[in-house]
Amino acid sequence: MFFLFFLSFLSFADTTPTDEKVVGVFYMTPIFGHIHQSSSRASASLTTIQCAHPVKVIESTKVLVSPEWAYVQVADYKGFILKSFLSEKRPDCLQGKYPKFFDSLNLDLAELYYWGRLHDHFLQGETRVH
Amino acid sequence: MTIFYKVKLAFISLSLISATICFSQTAKFQEEKELEVVNFLSIQKVLKKDGLSQSAEMKKKQVSVMKTEQKNLDRARYNYPTEDEIWGLATDYWLIKNAQVLGWDFEKPDFGIENSFKGVLENLGFYQKKFKILVLNTSSIIRGALPGLDGEIVYIISLPFIRSLDLSKLEIAIFLLEDYFRYEAGYFKKAVGTEKLKKMAGSSFYEQKVDLSLMEELVKNYGQQIENKGFSFQQQFETTKKMDTFLKSHPEFWNVYFRLLGKIQNFVKTNHQYKDYIKLYPSPEMQLKWLSPDEKAL
Repeated sequence: MFFLFFLSFLSFADTTPTDEKVVGVFYMTPIFGHIHQSSSRASASLTTIQCAHPVKVIESTKVLVSPEWAYVQVADYKGFILKSFLSEKRPDCLQGKYPKFFDSLNLDLAELYYWGRLHDHFLQGETRVH
Repeated sequence: MTIFYKVKLAFISLSLISATICFSQTAKFQEEKELEVVNFLSIQKVLKKDGLSQSAEMKKKQVSVMKTEQKNLDRARYNYPTEDEIWGLATDYWLIKNAQVLGWDFEKPDFGIENSFKGVLENLGFYQKKFKILVLNTSSIIRGALPGLDGEIVYIISLPFIRSLDLSKLEIAIFLLEDYFRYEAGYFKKAVGTEKLKKMAGSSFYEQKVDLSLMEELVKNYGQQIENKGFSFQQQFETTKKMDTFLKSHPEFWNVYFRLLGKIQNFVKTNHQYKDYIKLYPSPEMQLKWLSPDEKAL
């Protein structure tokens, strides 16, 4: 009887990540980006967010993340985003600087999706300072 | 006795009259004082002494400055981005509008191209250069270096082309280096840029209709340049000579470049799918000649 109770307790612990801790709030830096289902550039998108959107970075012993990815929460979605897309300071976004011009582009949902995907697929680099 | 009462009555009435006169005089003074309080001019000197009028003046100025700033902010919301920002946006916009044709949204292994390219740039002394590489899953567009945001250069490269030629990481990096020199020489912006871009960049369309033909023209020109126009012989000659100059001090890179051009020359000659490559980048055969040392008659 005790063993059964112990088993049910273990299964409960496995499905509810109670040790999740918000590390901090960061801001999205590319124009558009995706919150991914898993920590892979090609993984499905949970939601699309735009530049300067606040993102809660979560730490949990139950979620293993590779060094270049962060486990995050945006609204009700919990997923993954590349760390290089996050900044501690609110960035100066083009959407914010030129809101009327940006609105006039009338981007449809597919274009918003692709704009986010584009940043996932870019292989970025910068040569060192001399 | 009667006389005494008459005198007393006269005295009382006299004192009452004088009291009434006195009272009426003091009441007048108070009204005047009240009037003086209401009259701003009468306390102007006091206010000046207290600095109240100065602070009122300052507040007036602050309000007017704030109003002007607010107006400028409102106007700034109707600005076109700057020229550099428009270039970066146009590149993203072109890539998004042609996402299906270019086929860049696909899963690919980590080739490590970015590290290899970074290494080559640093070896040649190109520091603080930001770049992005986008691998395309198409054979219709092979390569290109496009303006990005924040001073970045966006390189596009065809995966089927890389695979067909079986290019190594170093060969890909040298291939991208050629695109870097073309970009830095300004050939792309010169071919794609429009008068409208120069005229409208950074200006305001406040109380006007936004003119999106600016972006439409740019995106159209991107396609024309990358798919059809390409580069001239003169531009190719200058690029090849620049590669020669920079790579001479690194013989291993120079040899890779020479071999790469040979590979491309043989490949595009025999492969019908890439026959247009020579039109866009004339021509690997000529490039090899330009690189080869002059043959001297014995």
